[in-house]
Amino acid sequence: MKLTETQIAELYKFTRKHYVEHYDVQTELVDHLANDIEQILEENLNLSFEQARDTSFKKFGVFGFMNVVEAKQKQLGKKYNKIIWKLMKEWFSIPKIIITSAIFMIFYILMSLNINHNYLSILMLILALVDVFLVSKLSKKSKQRFKEQSQKYLLEDMIFRMGAFSSILVFSNLFQLSTFLKSSPSVYFKFFVASLITLAILYSYISLIIIPQRAEELLEETYPEYKRVNNL
Amino acid sequence: MNRPDIFLSRFNKLPNDYTFHNMGNQKLYKGSLQTIILKLLESNDKMYGYEITQKVKELTKGELKITEGALYPALHKLEADGLLDVEVAKVGNRLRKYYKLTESGSKETANKLAEMQEFLKTMQHLVNPKFSLE
Repeated sequence: MKLTETQIAELYKFTRKHYVEHYDVQTELVDHLANDIEQILEENLNLSFEQARDTSFKKFGVFGFMNVVEAKQKQLGKKYNKIIWKLMKEWFSIPKIIITSAIFMIFYILMSLNINHNYLSILMLILALVDVFLVSKLSKKSKQRFKEQSQKYLLEDMIFRMGAFSSILVFSNLFQLSTFLKSSPSVYFKFFVASLITLAILYSYISLIIIPQRAEELLEETYPEYKRVNNL
Repeated sequence: MNRPDIFLSRFNKLPNDYTFHNMGNQKLYKGSLQTIILKLLESNDKMYGYEITQKVKELTKGELKITEGALYPALHKLEADGLLDVEVAKVGNRLRKYYKLTESGSKETANKLAEMQEFLKTMQHLVNPKFSLE
C-alpha cells in the first residue's frame, strides 16, 4: 500500500511535533517512516495508519528523533565552520591581506600612541554597536525570510541566526579586554590585542554580511533538493 | 519557539548503547556500524536509509537489525567527514535522500575492511587458539 499525499503531509507534521524543526531533517525522516509504515501495513492489514506510524516511531528508541537531529546539527555545524574558515583564509592571501594588515596596523599604532587609552575602549564600543546594528539587521532579514517560506533548512537557520549570536559574544569579550589596557602595554600584548580585534572584525564581516549574501549559493550546494523544492 | 538543541545538550553525555534491535550481543557489533554502512555502499553504489536497514536485515537473515536512532546519526557523521555524498530524488509523492561513497569514502572503506579482517583474525586466535594451528 502506497501512502497518500495527505499521509505524507501528516508525517511532516508528526516530525515537527517531535522537535524536528528543519525541513532537510524532516524530509529524510518522513521518507524513512513512510517506507517502514508501508511495510508494516503490508504485513498487518488490519492496522491503521496511525498505529503503524507509532510502531515505526518506537523503533527510534527512547530519545525519538533526538539523536538524529543532534547528529545533523553537528554535521552542519562542522560545515558552517568550514565555510567560515575558507572565507577567512581569503583575507590572509593576496590581495585581501593588504586590508587585513591595514586593520591590524591601525589598532597596533593606536595602542602605541602615548595618549589616554580610554579611546580604545570607546572605539571598541563603537565597533560593538556597529556589530549589534548588523546583527539586528540580519535578524530582521531572517524573520522576514522565515515568515515567507514554510520550510526552513538547518544550515539556513545557522546562516541567519548562529553567526549573529557568536559575533555578539566575540565583541562583548573584546570590549572587556580593552578595559584591561594599561598606559604602556608591552609589544606582545599590543600584538595580541590588535590580532584579536582584526580577527573579530573579519569574523563579523564574514558571518554577518558575506555568508548571508551567499546564502542561496551555499544552500543549493548543500541541499540538492533546495532548488527543486523552491521551484515547485 | 522550539530550540531542541538546548534541550538536547542535556542528553549529550548519555551513552548511546542502543545501536541494534533486540540483540543480547549488540555490544559486539556496535563498533562496526560505520564499516557495515561503508561496505554496503561500496557494493550498491547509492542507497537510502531505510534500504540500508532492510539490506542488513536481509543479508544477516534477521540476525542483525540496525536501529534507526543509530543509523542516521552514523550516516550524518560519515557525511560530515566527507566520506559520503548525498543525492535527492523525487520518488512517488516524496523526496528521497540517497547516500553514496565519495572518493575518500572508497579509500576509507578499504581501510576499515582491512582493519575488520585484522580484528577478526586476532579474535579468532584468542577465542579459538587451535584454529591458528591449521
